[in-house]
Formats: sequence, structure tokens, C-alpha cells
Amino acid sequence: MPTTRKWYKAFWLLAIVCLLTGCWDREELEDKAYVIGLGLDRSQHEGKIIVTMLLANPEVGSMQGGGGSTEKPREIISFNANDFIAAKGTANAIISRKISYDLLKIIVVSEDFAKEKDFIATISDVLKDKEIRLNSYLAVSKEKAKAYFKKNHPKMETRPHKYFQYMVQHGVDNGLIPDSTLFRFFTAYERGTDLFLAMNTSAEVGKNPNVKGEDEYLAGQVAATGELDDTQFIGAAVFKKGVMIGKLTGQETRTVNILDDTTNIKDVLIDIPDPFSDEKKQFAARIMKTEDNKVKMNLKGLKPKIFITVPVKIEIMSNPSMVDYTKKKNQQILKKHIAKHIKKVNDDLFKKSQTQLKGVPFPLAIYARKYFGTIPEYKKFDWNKSFLNADIKVNSDIEIVDFGKTTKKH
Amino acid sequence: MSQQSGKLGIREYVSIVILMVGTKPTGDLPTALYSMVQSAGWMIPLISAGIFFIPLFLLVKTMMLYQNQNLFSIIQKLFGKYIGSIVCFIIFIISSSIISIDTRTYTNIIRTFYFTTTPNLIIYSILMLVCAYGAKKGIQHIGSAAYLVVYYAVLSLIIALILSFQDSNIQGIFPFWGPGKLEILKGSSKSLYIFLDFFLFAMLIPNFQSTKDFLKGTWVAYICVCIQISAVVLVFISLFDTSLGGIAYPFHSEIRYISLGSYLPNVEIFFFVIWIMGAFIRFTAFLYINVQMFCHIFKIKDYEYLIPAIATLYLLIGSIPETPFDVGLVIKPIITNVVGPSFALISIILWLTAWLKGEFKHANNKEMV
Amino acid sequence: MKKRLFKTFFNELNKTPPYNEKSNELEIQLKEQDISTHYEQSLTTFKSIFSYPQNTDIKVREFTIRSLNRRAFIIFISTMVDHKSIQDSIVEKLIENQVPSGNIADIISYPMERTAANIGEITDYICGGVTALFIDGDSQCYIFETTKVRGRGIEKTDNEIIVKGAKESFNERVADNIGLLRKKIKNENLIVESKVISKRSRNDVFLVYEKDLVNDKLLQKIKERLDSIDSDKILDLSILEQHLEERPRSLFPTILYTERPDRAASYIEEGHIILLMSNSPSCLIMPATFWSLIHSPEDHYLRTPYGNFIRILRFAALFVAVFTSSLYIAITNYHVGMIPPDLLMAIAGTRERVPLPSIIEILMMEMAFELIREAGLRVPSPIGPTIGIVGALILGQAAVQANIISPIVIIVIALSGLSSFIISDISMNFAIRLARFLFIFAAGFLGIYGATAFFMASLFYLVSLKSFGIPYFAPMTPHSISSKDLIVRHVPFKERFRPGYLKPKDLVRQRKG
Repeated sequence: MPTTRKWYKAFWLLAIVCLLTGCWDREELEDKAYVIGLGLDRSQHEGKIIVTMLLANPEVGSMQGGGGSTEKPREIISFNANDFIAAKGTANAIISRKISYDLLKIIVVSEDFAKEKDFIATISDVLKDKEIRLNSYLAVSKEKAKAYFKKNHPKMETRPHKYFQYMVQHGVDNGLIPDSTLFRFFTAYERGTDLFLAMNTSAEVGKNPNVKGEDEYLAGQVAATGELDDTQFIGAAVFKKGVMIGKLTGQETRTVNILDDTTNIKDVLIDIPDPFSDEKKQFAARIMKTEDNKVKMNLKGLKPKIFITVPVKIEIMSNPSMVDYTKKKNQQILKKHIAKHIKKVNDDLFKKSQTQLKGVPFPLAIYARKYFGTIPEYKKFDWNKSFLNADIKVNSDIEIVDFGKTTKKH
Repeated sequence: MSQQSGKLGIREYVSIVILMVGTKPTGDLPTALYSMVQSAGWMIPLISAGIFFIPLFLLVKTMMLYQNQNLFSIIQKLFGKYIGSIVCFIIFIISSSIISIDTRTYTNIIRTFYFTTTPNLIIYSILMLVCAYGAKKGIQHIGSAAYLVVYYAVLSLIIALILSFQDSNIQGIFPFWGPGKLEILKGSSKSLYIFLDFFLFAMLIPNFQSTKDFLKGTWVAYICVCIQISAVVLVFISLFDTSLGGIAYPFHSEIRYISLGSYLPNVEIFFFVIWIMGAFIRFTAFLYINVQMFCHIFKIKDYEYLIPAIATLYLLIGSIPETPFDVGLVIKPIITNVVGPSFALISIILWLTAWLKGEFKHANNKEMV
Repeated sequence: MKKRLFKTFFNELNKTPPYNEKSNELEIQLKEQDISTHYEQSLTTFKSIFSYPQNTDIKVREFTIRSLNRRAFIIFISTMVDHKSIQDSIVEKLIENQVPSGNIADIISYPMERTAANIGEITDYICGGVTALFIDGDSQCYIFETTKVRGRGIEKTDNEIIVKGAKESFNERVADNIGLLRKKIKNENLIVESKVISKRSRNDVFLVYEKDLVNDKLLQKIKERLDSIDSDKILDLSILEQHLEERPRSLFPTILYTERPDRAASYIEEGHIILLMSNSPSCLIMPATFWSLIHSPEDHYLRTPYGNFIRILRFAALFVAVFTSSLYIAITNYHVGMIPPDLLMAIAGTRERVPLPSIIEILMMEMAFELIREAGLRVPSPIGPTIGIVGALILGQAAVQANIISPIVIIVIALSGLSSFIISDISMNFAIRLARFLFIFAAGFLGIYGATAFFMASLFYLVSLKSFGIPYFAPMTPHSISSKDLIVRHVPFKERFRPGYLKPKDLVRQRKG
């Protein structure tokens, strides 16, 4: 039938047209240059920023056999721009392919830029971009982001996306850095009642780092020697209403992470002063948090009272003073001591947040909401002000699940 | 061999309803609810459903009086020829504008999130093309397609919600009463438009295998849908918390955010596919209902030939507003605020007229005889 | 209205060319007459009808029946009869019988005897391999069904191979085929109805169904459809299939074609209708739904968990076969963010040196795969295996090394190609392979949105497809009572109902308890 033949013809024509059109959004994936890390710095020029792009070379490390490539695994460019969206165009003056933020893993901001007021205006552009995802991470570097990327030379993970993926993932698992996705940044910013913690990183090791407790470091303070990359991820930068106001050490960050039910920390290894050796020695323990905290508040009266109970499971990993843990008495001592230690750490943290930071570094305020019937009442209460003179008590509900492999005294 | 041609079963009907009404919170509904009553946004669908229950119940009761007659013929019967026709025409105009706006909104979503450089017109015309093709096939086939899709749609919605749960905090729904109980009530009465589709489904009654299916299906779907909408809004509130007010399309922001572990970090396309499938079904059914209305008003028998023309008309109307903001912020609120209460009012007046005319008594007498 | 205008317009343009048909009115008239009692006249009539002796395998043997002392002749087609039985039980008996007896039935020992008088009827019989005996003075002719056609024996199935279950398959002899079915359903209600469908070559079709199950309206419908065929010849069941289908141009089949008698029998038991045809080693099952085209008999032969595993595997394969290539196109060209970073880097790295856009790459390889497949089917069997090796070697390894194709494409194509083999129904298999190309175009046009839009359109099309009035996705939607044997199946004793959409006379297959 001629009509059907006509339809067939139309169909083939359509198929060919589909093949040949520019097809608007169609782009071959090898035509793009993938930005893994984005650095933001203040520029000397008024109203401008320095954008640093860390681009991954797909050819390196992806070829199985076939000789591989002699090219470098990455490329870094820095230049002045008004914002990092339009910078994609500018970058094409240097980079041969179309810049894409599809694989953006981390945005690194230098400390001095993060402390500026217009930082929030700059970073808000990520909400407008189609390619950037809100599960990218925000990090703050001690030095200029430009210098940070340049100095960062991972020895083993030469492919940058892999390096940042592993580095961040395990850092968050250990609790030493906060899970600082852009999503959390913006929700905290919108909420306005709690501080946001961004991971702290540095590729410069301080001149004379002093040895501290196993986790009381900031990035760039861990004294490590050997054949390694100087980049460190530890501790957190504190943001209040989108502006950086201070820093937390690795230990404080971990404490916050344990208190914060919205982050997903797995199990963390910590050192706790040993009660059987006059606290000179320390024993190692694995802390596991499987249940949510119990938060109770009494917000009436001038001094609001907040009670937090942290349920933790602890596995003792070492026994420096060679105590026999099989004895009930020793177990009791140990348990009590750990509870005391946790309480102390938390008390220190809240003291710092009430006096120094003037805000709580995790979304504690949302627990307060259920004590108010309506939003006007809650607003009247004014969490930000009330928190400062709140009376916060942290208790821990400890369950020691294991005393290590050997139970007997040696 | 009887072909069961054109008859809608209860399963197909319920799946159409779930895809038409239940997918509403994947658009801009949660944002609208949140900006109205903040943390109590999840309550609105439930309360609105409660309020809308009365007119819907009366409507269904009135519809049950006349077996196998659609909404418009009953309106014309009860209100008289002239007033009835005017009312029908107004309903048609309103639902036409809703379909134009909604299709435009969906086109905007597709464009902003997935196809940034593709012209709006291309996306829009493909949407309307598929819908027109589907509507041409008739309601039974739309229902069958809906039934094949609905399980996956609901399942993927649930998966999306579960995946986002680990990052959300249920405390976000507090303070429980949001801005105050009165505000919630006010918001609920403004949000009656969520359920207006149920009003329109009364157009489909002649297409049912039995009117009982319509009765049963409506209530089953009504309960499912209001729970579904409420649950979705609840999850969005606890996930986004206060930033929900600033996110135009939370569902799409959410599926871009969630991930299945670090090896499969971005899974939005999977959800997008099923979402867009639901959208196709939704607008196909909507288009079909609108064409039925048009045919009824202008007494046209062959609806099939009308569908492409009416689809094109909606496409053109939908293309008029220049920016997404015009659609979402200016035009939509006007229509949505009017539609819900007016449809509820029509249902109640319908019932009243039937009652005053003594139709219920007639029905009883008939049964007695 | 518009449609009609178009039609008339095109009909004007495209008339069937006029040709002069040679009139065969005389022959038709002749065939309507009865045979004459005159021996000579009958002899000449039939000799002229069968163009004897020009037609070499027509045999006419004249003799005298001694006991009756009357002239007689037999006529048969030598290539279609059993010579020995003609010789032993007809000719010999007639010639040698001495006892005077008027009754032919008493003389001849050949069992199947019938009489006929109409010339046309007798001609038909002779064409079917029957021996006709004409006796001088008789107004009737005696018919002996001496048919013996040559063909294959019953062999193993070639195309629908299963591991567990019956292995025999239909062959070209329809009597064998019916026998195979009778062997499985020993019930007097199993009806084998024959029907002649083409005018010239007079091919006959056998409708097989169970009288007390089948829905009469459905049966009527199929018979009407068969009667409405107006064709000179339909040589094979597969051609008949195309005549019968409601939408012969549709991509998707609506009749199930199988060569397995066990499968046919199980469908008869459910109230379906089977068509058999002489010379076709298969049968048609009507009506067929999407599910019956996807299922395989082995699903039921295997134990429930294994059968369901195969089922789920097959459904997964169905999706893989249709969507992998298009998904690859859509994701690599439009939605790059979807790919895990490592994989993205790997693809980008290998694609850097490939000179073709990925859609061309995919199409090229799809074509290559289809070529290997078709070539592998056609080559004589001794060199068959080499084709596979050469094809795989050339297209896989060499193409990658020459930087024409990126390795990931090979994986994608291999996966979708392999999956397409899992759908055992030939028509469905083709439908899926062709649909794949359409999806590739759709995905190339507008990414995942294009592909989904196309998928929705095809879903609307599929649900509106009907096989003899049965919706394609019945009984899933529209819903009807069935034993729910759709995606997963129950244990056999839970499958209590025959499919309700067929409206069988007896719905319940198995009572509760």
C-alpha cells in the first residue's frame, strides 16, 4: 500500500535526521575535560576570585595493558574570574576540551577567602549549576587553594578522583573530618541555628609540629616523615551563617561526629587514658555507635537544660597496664572511667562552642523544636541566644562488647 | 468474543489515579506546601483530603443515582441545559488551563535538570505527541499502561525516599503545628486543588466495567493517594528542612543528591525514567478526560480525530509564558486557589439540586419497585 | 472521512493491472457433473482431467473384474499412494476373485472404502492420493484411501531446545502431527476439523481444539478469518500466519508459532485453538498473548524455583537486549554524570582515539553482530563454527586494536546480542532485535527522555494490540481470572484456573483441595 510506504519513508527520514542533527544536549564524553577539584581564592582584583581547576586525564590509569600513556594524570589551571560558572568558558582558552563539573568531587576554599563575607555569595552558585551535585564536598585549606592543589601530589592514587574519594571516605569513617557535603552546608545555612563544619585540609606541613595526643591535630600539624605526600585531612573549619569563624581539632571533630546523628560514622579508633596507670598510659579502643542519641530538653525558664545520652559500644583493643579484665571490678572501673572521659571531652566541646564559637556545631536545635507547638513560639525562644547560656549535660550509655583477644593477664 | 472494549477495570483506574494524583509531590507541590505552613506541610494533604471528602462523597453519591452517565450529562440534567452547559464549559476551561500549566511545569523540570540546551518546544512537543498518541488509544489502554507502570513508579518512589532517609532528620517536622492550627486549616482549604482530579474522574464513569468499580476504586485510590502525598512531603521536609522553601523541585534535587554507595554515586536517571513514565501516563489520562469534556460540550462523536488538535492547542497555550517563573509563581497560584473550592462547591450544589429535585427518593422508589 | 479520501485517491493511482484471464468455465462445469455410467466416457473424462499420459505419475490401469465380468479401471497418482496395498488388496482381489458376487466390498479386502459420484469431488480425492475404482455400469465410483506420502520421521526439535521434557517435534506429515497431539490428549472431545483454504493448490488446514473447553465465539472468529482468506495458494503455516494476523505489519507477533507438540497440547488444554497444516512442521496457537510468547515450555518442566529463576533471567535478558545499547548511547552522550567516575574515565580514555561518534559505533557493531548471526545461520554446517570464531576475532579484538571501536562497546553489544538469544520465540526475537534499533535512534535523538518517550509510546501500542480480541497483556491487564502464570509461576497444583480471558467453557482446571 502506498500509504504505508510513505510512512516507512517518513520513518527512515526521521531516523536519519535524528542521526544527523546537532542534537542539542548531545556530547561525546571524551570531548569533555572533567574537573575533579575546584579551588576558590580571593583575588587581588576587586570583586574577582581566583578559580583553580584540577582536571583529570582519563587516559592515565584506565588502560589495561595496551601500553598505557606517558601523559600526566592531571592538569591544574588557576586564573582570575568573576565566578566559577562562567570560568568554564574562560578555561577553554587553556584547556582543549569542554570543561565539565560532572565529576566534581571537592571544592577547596582557602581559609582567608572562607572568612570573607561574600564567600556565601560565591559558593551559592553551585545551586545554579546543572552539573554540580550537592553531594560534592566542601573543604577549607590553610594555604591558598591554588597552592594546595599544586602541592598535592598523592604518591599512590595518582588519579585525582580516586584520591579524593578514598581520602574523604575514610576520613569521614574515622570521624576525623566532618561529612561536609554541599548539601549539608546549605541546609545548615538555611536553618541558621547550627554551625557547619567543613573538612580542614592542608598540603603544607607546619615548621615544627609538636607531638600531641593521637587526634588533637589540625591539618598540617601531623608530624609524619617518610616518602609521602604532605596533604593532610584532619579537623574542621567552623562556619557560622556561611562565614568561617574558627577551627576544630581532629578530636573535637570526632566528638561532634559522635554527637551528630545525621552523619554516618562507622567505628572509630581512639585512645583513652588508662585508669590503671594513673592516666599516664593510654589504651586503644574502638567506638561503635549503632543507635541514635537520646536528647531531652527542658527549655522553660531562663537557663534551658539539655540532656544528651550517647549510646556507644566499646571494644577494648589494647591493655597497656596488663590488667586482668576478666575481673568484674576492673570492668566496672574501666566502664566508669570511659564514661568520665567521654563526658569530659563533650563538656570541653560544649564549653568551647558556647564561649568561643557561640553556636552548636551540629543540628542540636532541631531536637528543641518538638518542645514548641508552633513556629512563632519557637522563634520567640530564639535558639541561638538561648543556647549560649544553656546547661548541657552529656551522659554516655556504655556497653563494652569486647575486651580484646586475650583476656588473661600476661 | 467480547472484547471488553474501552472498559476500565478497578485496577487500571486506581493505577491511573495513583499516577495522576500521587505523583503530584514530585513536582513543585512540596515547596508550595512548605512555604504555606512550613514544618506542618505534610499535614495539609491529609486535612485537605478530609475536607474534600465531603464534596467528593456527595458527588459520588449523586453520580451513583444515574448509572453510566458522565459528570457533564448529570450537570446538564440537574442544572438545566443552559446553566449546565455554562458550568461544563467553565470546568473545561479550568481543567484545560491546568493541563497546559502542568505540562509546561514538567517541561521546565526536564529542561532545567536534564536537558539544559534543548529547546523547550522540542521537549514539550514530544511530551504532547506521546500523550496524544496514548489518548488516542482510549482510556482502557491508558489504564493498562498505567497498571504496568504503577508498581515500578511506586517502588522507585519508595526507594528514592528510603535512600534519602539516611540523610534526613525526622525532627524536621517539628514544631508540630507549624505556624499555628488556624494557618494549617487555611492552607488546607487552599490546597483542595490537590484532589481536584477526583472530581474530573467522574467524567469517566461510562467507561467503567461497572459503576461499582468507580465507587470502590475512588475510595481506595483516595486513601492511597493522600497517604502517599503526605508521606512524600514528610520525607522532603525532614530531608531539606528549612531549605525546602527555596528548592523549586525537591524531588529532582533529591534524586540528584542520593547515591547507592560510592561505586554508583549518581542514580538520578533511573528515577527520572520512571518519573517521566508516570508523567506521560498522567497527562495522557488528563488529555483524554479533557477531550471527553470537549466532545460532550460540543456534541462530537469521534473524539479520536480531535485529540491531536486539542493537544496542539494545549502545547501552544503552555508555550505562552516566557519563563518558568511566570508559570510557577504568577499563574499557577491564581488557578489553584480558585479551582479547589469552586469544584467542591459545584459538587455540593449538584447534590443539593438532586436532593431538592427529589432524585434520591425516586431512586429509592425505583429500588422498592 | 479524510482517510477515505486518501484511499480513493491512492486507489486511483494504483489500480491492479488488467489482464485477460483464460476462461476455465468448461472445466468448472465438468467438475460439477456426476460421473456417467459408461465406462469409456468416464475413462476419457478422467484422462483429460489429469492430462494422461502427459502427466507421468498418473497411473490408469484397466482390467476386467472376473467375477462380475465387467470392465473396470483404477486411477491414482503413483507418487502419493502405497503401491503394495493397491496391488495386494485391490487389483489382485478384483482380478483373481472367482466367486460371483455383486458387492465390491465383499471382494476387496482394503479397509477404507467410500463411494462418490461427483467428478469434482473424485478429482479432489485423487489429488490427495486416493485410488478411485470405476466399474462399468456403476453410477458411483469407489474410493480407497491409499494415501502414503513420503517425509521425515519424527525428530528432535531444532529451534525450541529444552533440556528437561519431551523432545519430539512436529514434522511435515500432518497425520503424524495430529497423532502426536492425540497421543497427549486422549479425549473424545478433542476435535480435528479440516478446512480447505486456498483455491488452486487446495491446501488444507486442521483446526484442533477441545470441544468442551473452547469458547465458541472465539472458534467462530477464527473460522471466519480462515474463510475470508482469498488466495490461490498458501503453502506453509508461516504464510497462513501472516494471512491470519490482525496487524501483519506490526513489529510484534500475535500468533504463537511452535514446533513442539507438548506445547501445543498444553495450550489446547487451556482452551486455545491450534492450527495444523500439511507440509508444515509446526503449529499455530491462537490467540497468543505477550506472556505466551515470552514463556518457554521448560519453565513448567523445571521445578518451581528453577523455572522461576529461568523466567526472571529471561525477563532481565529481555530488558538487556532491548535497552543496553540505547542506554549506553543515552548515558554516554547525554547523562555523563550517571557513570561512576572510574568507569567514565575508562570509557573516555579508550574513546579518545576512536574516530566515530558513539552512536555510529554502536550501530556498526549491532549490524556486525546481526551479520555474524545471519551468516552463521546460512553457511553450510561444516564451515559454520569458523564463522563464529572469525567473526568474534575480527570484530572484537581487531576492531579494538585498530581503534575503530572502544572495548566497552564490544561488551555492550555482546551483552545485548547474547540476551536476545534467550527469547526462544522466533517472531518475538525479531521484534526485540528490531525494537533495539529503534530505541538506539530514540536515545541518540534525545537521550533518556527520547528513549522513555518512545518506550511509553510503544507501551501504549502494545497494550492496544489484540490477538483475536484478546488484549496483549491479558490477564495481567485488563485483569481476568487465571492461574497467574505471568512473570513468576506458582507450583503446579496451585495453578487452578484456565486463562479467563479466553472465556473457556470450563474455567476451573483443578478443584481446591
